[in-house]
Amino acid sequence: MVRLGLPALVVALLVVVALRSDRALPPAELIYVDAAPAFTLDPQRIAYEQDIRLGNALYEGLVRWDPETFDVLPGVAERWEIEDGGLKYTFRLRENARWSNGDRVVAGDFLHSWRRGLLPDTAGDYAKILFAIRGAKAFFDWRVGALKEYGARPAGARNGDTALAMWEESVRRFDELVGVRAPDDRTLVLELDRPLPYMLDLLAFVPTFPAHPGTVDRWSRLDAKTGRMEQDHSWTKPPRLVSNGPYRLVSWRFKRDMRMERNPHYWNAGAVKAGSVEARVIEDPNTRVLAFRTGAVDWVTDVHAEYLPDLLAEAEGSERPTIRGFDRFGTYFWSFNCTPTLSGGRSNPFVDARVRRAFSMGLDRRAIVEDLRRVGEHVAETFVPRGSIRGYDEDGSVRGLPFDVIGARDELARAGWSVREPGGELRNDRGEPFPVVTLLASTGSYHVLIAQAMASMWEKALGVRTSIVVKETKTYRDDLKRRDYIVARGGWFGDYADPTSFLNVHASGDGNNDRGYSNPAFDELMARAAGERDPEQRLALLEEAEQLSLDEAPIIPIWVYRQFYQYDAERISGITSHPRMAQFLHLIEPHGGGR
Amino acid sequence: MSGLILRRLVQLPLVLLVIYSVTFALAWALPGSAVLQDEQRAPPPEVIAAMEARYDLDHPWAFYGGYLARLVTRGDFGPSLRYPDWSVGEIIAGALPVSMALGLAAVGIALVIGVGAGVVGAARPGGVLDVATLMLALLGISLPTFVAGAALLLLFPVALGLGSVGGWGGIGDLALPAFTLSLPFAAYIARLTRSGMIEAMRSDYVRTARAKGVSETGVLLRHALPNAFLPVLSYLGPAAAAAMTGSFVVERIFNVPGIGQHFVSAVLNKDLFLIMGVVLVYATILLVMNLMVDVLYRIVDPRIRAG
Repeated sequence: MVRLGLPALVVALLVVVALRSDRALPPAELIYVDAAPAFTLDPQRIAYEQDIRLGNALYEGLVRWDPETFDVLPGVAERWEIEDGGLKYTFRLRENARWSNGDRVVAGDFLHSWRRGLLPDTAGDYAKILFAIRGAKAFFDWRVGALKEYGARPAGARNGDTALAMWEESVRRFDELVGVRAPDDRTLVLELDRPLPYMLDLLAFVPTFPAHPGTVDRWSRLDAKTGRMEQDHSWTKPPRLVSNGPYRLVSWRFKRDMRMERNPHYWNAGAVKAGSVEARVIEDPNTRVLAFRTGAVDWVTDVHAEYLPDLLAEAEGSERPTIRGFDRFGTYFWSFNCTPTLSGGRSNPFVDARVRRAFSMGLDRRAIVEDLRRVGEHVAETFVPRGSIRGYDEDGSVRGLPFDVIGARDELARAGWSVREPGGELRNDRGEPFPVVTLLASTGSYHVLIAQAMASMWEKALGVRTSIVVKETKTYRDDLKRRDYIVARGGWFGDYADPTSFLNVHASGDGNNDRGYSNPAFDELMARAAGERDPEQRLALLEEAEQLSLDEAPIIPIWVYRQFYQYDAERISGITSHPRMAQFLHLIEPHGGGR
Repeated sequence: MSGLILRRLVQLPLVLLVIYSVTFALAWALPGSAVLQDEQRAPPPEVIAAMEARYDLDHPWAFYGGYLARLVTRGDFGPSLRYPDWSVGEIIAGALPVSMALGLAAVGIALVIGVGAGVVGAARPGGVLDVATLMLALLGISLPTFVAGAALLLLFPVALGLGSVGGWGGIGDLALPAFTLSLPFAAYIARLTRSGMIEAMRSDYVRTARAKGVSETGVLLRHALPNAFLPVLSYLGPAAAAAMTGSFVVERIFNVPGIGQHFVSAVLNKDLFLIMGVVLVYATILLVMNLMVDVLYRIVDPRIRAG
């Protein structure tokens, strides 16, 4: 037995050493909890909500959003002029804008970052945002072609020199093609092909924020084999990350926590409320709620426990409620496959807008939201959340389809489908039954429950047979992209304050048009809106386009997404209820107490 | 003994190669795109194609060979496809020590509880204590950790204010997850110990010890336990490996930043490099643990040493 004492002692020592190396930092002034870890802190690659929140804390763009109204306010640019009928923007950068290492923020930093953002090598999800700039798309396409051509060269013709030559050519092309110039360190000139009413909104969006050029270049190198600019993302880790926003990065532990402290070089450091912020990741919804309950954290950014309806009921009667729901700039919907054939070559009845309309009208969405969800979401009557964009559909004239079973049956009859005997099945004139309507949901959330409700409503109202298929998210997405489905769950969040942020997904051939919906009349309206110089006329055309797409029903909008936060308003203040939900960490003020 | 260690060390890379090949085949066959993520805005198709080419995702054999070559020559596990700012090496280096500390603590707790319960039970088979420990062991084996963990979380930090929820960093944060993780191991060890003890207590040398007038405690601990412990020891190898490579459920409930979560999430994300990395690390730990148990066996049991 004694002989085992030594190994036991070694084991105990190992445990202690492992724990010692992992000591916690003293608690930050503000601790908030995310449900998912940050993916990247590279502004040009940032796309997810939790990353956008961190991006807004670490970086600052030319302009920024007012947290309450989401109007555009000065950021790194202290003022700007818009000339040539909205085609030319001249930004004057503030003299005292600094990086966290003390370097000045200059106009060339934006140039460098946008060039990087436009490289296919960077593979930014939001590269398209920059396509608003004149010549940006042409540069992107040129570089894609150049890389393809380079890769096809014989191995002997690919080396460090040839890669460098192509890179220098790319830099030259960028300067030549893309409408961005920095005449001096404090002036940035931006040119567009056509006026874009939401251009400033795009410049307040993290993917257009600058990354520190010196740091990025140190971690980038040309790959002689492919000619690509390979970027080692180690530069986003502390202590290397250099940022120009309210905070600087102190530590980042994978899927665990991130700590930021006030950036002393930030030009507006006095406006930064919490001196230190910790972003913690707790993936389990129940543990998130318990962590808040024990006072370990100030703010939970996503409360989605199964007992959420009970939590909300409890908060309703409380004098000091801690659960709050906010409508978001996004819509939960179900998609119809709008292509003529289904998998296996069967013909798809949903290619007919009348059939889609009938299924949309046969659905009692109010019942789904009020009896099934029970968390206070609003029924989505439109795809673009109503009242979310200033000047767009302010009179509520854009109308979605109503819940109308009789009307739904009429639509089906017009499309050649009817139920002949009471309680019978939906058949066409030749007596063939309507194909089994398969509802495709993904695992891990409430989608299956919604699918069950929809299926039973359709069976009762329309006399169709249904089946529900549940797939792992990856497989579900694969099926969606291959259009191997009949009806599938979906959802969409807007990126910028313009209806096109939603409506573009209905455009023929759009990369996010998972429905394969294509209507030349819709495309025509969108093109006319894009060319329209009068902002009011433009929005009117977009209203027309949305109305058309609602009548044609490639999707059934079900509810406006709602976000649930948990925080105590007496402990922290400064959280905005605006649907854009881009919270600005530096404006959140901890009042102490509780923790 | 050095012959045994040498032989095993030579076998190790071969076994790992087989495991690598099988894992690769399975991971490659996973449905879905490895670079396109859930809920992601679709980037231009050229960008997707370029990324796939960059990681050899368009050529299975190039991926298979390239990964192996980078791993052997540079110790490079590759990047995480899902979390582009992190390499698999960094992810494992951050998570493995956490899981090892938690796992070792859990095995330690399991040993103390399990052997203790086994000895107490075997001292008077069929007695009240024996039945009680057997019942507890049954409970420990059958109670899922997500129930035990949630109950402990509600009892200690939430109701009694002891310890934290969703934090990690001190001995205090280790206690609850380690205890939860130890329960099934402790139950199994208790049953192994009890049956080994009962058998040993019937043997001749125990009768001899009793005849010599050795006290009952002395008989139990000095004479019966060392022999009864052997099956426990052989169980400890795989148990320690399993405990040290994390538990998805325990890590999730207690928000422990260990490696167990990656076994599940890497597969769901089709994060090929991470899948290969965690499987290889797990396999290596399992093989090394089994080797260590074999070595310990020879130290504890002279019969094996002689044989």
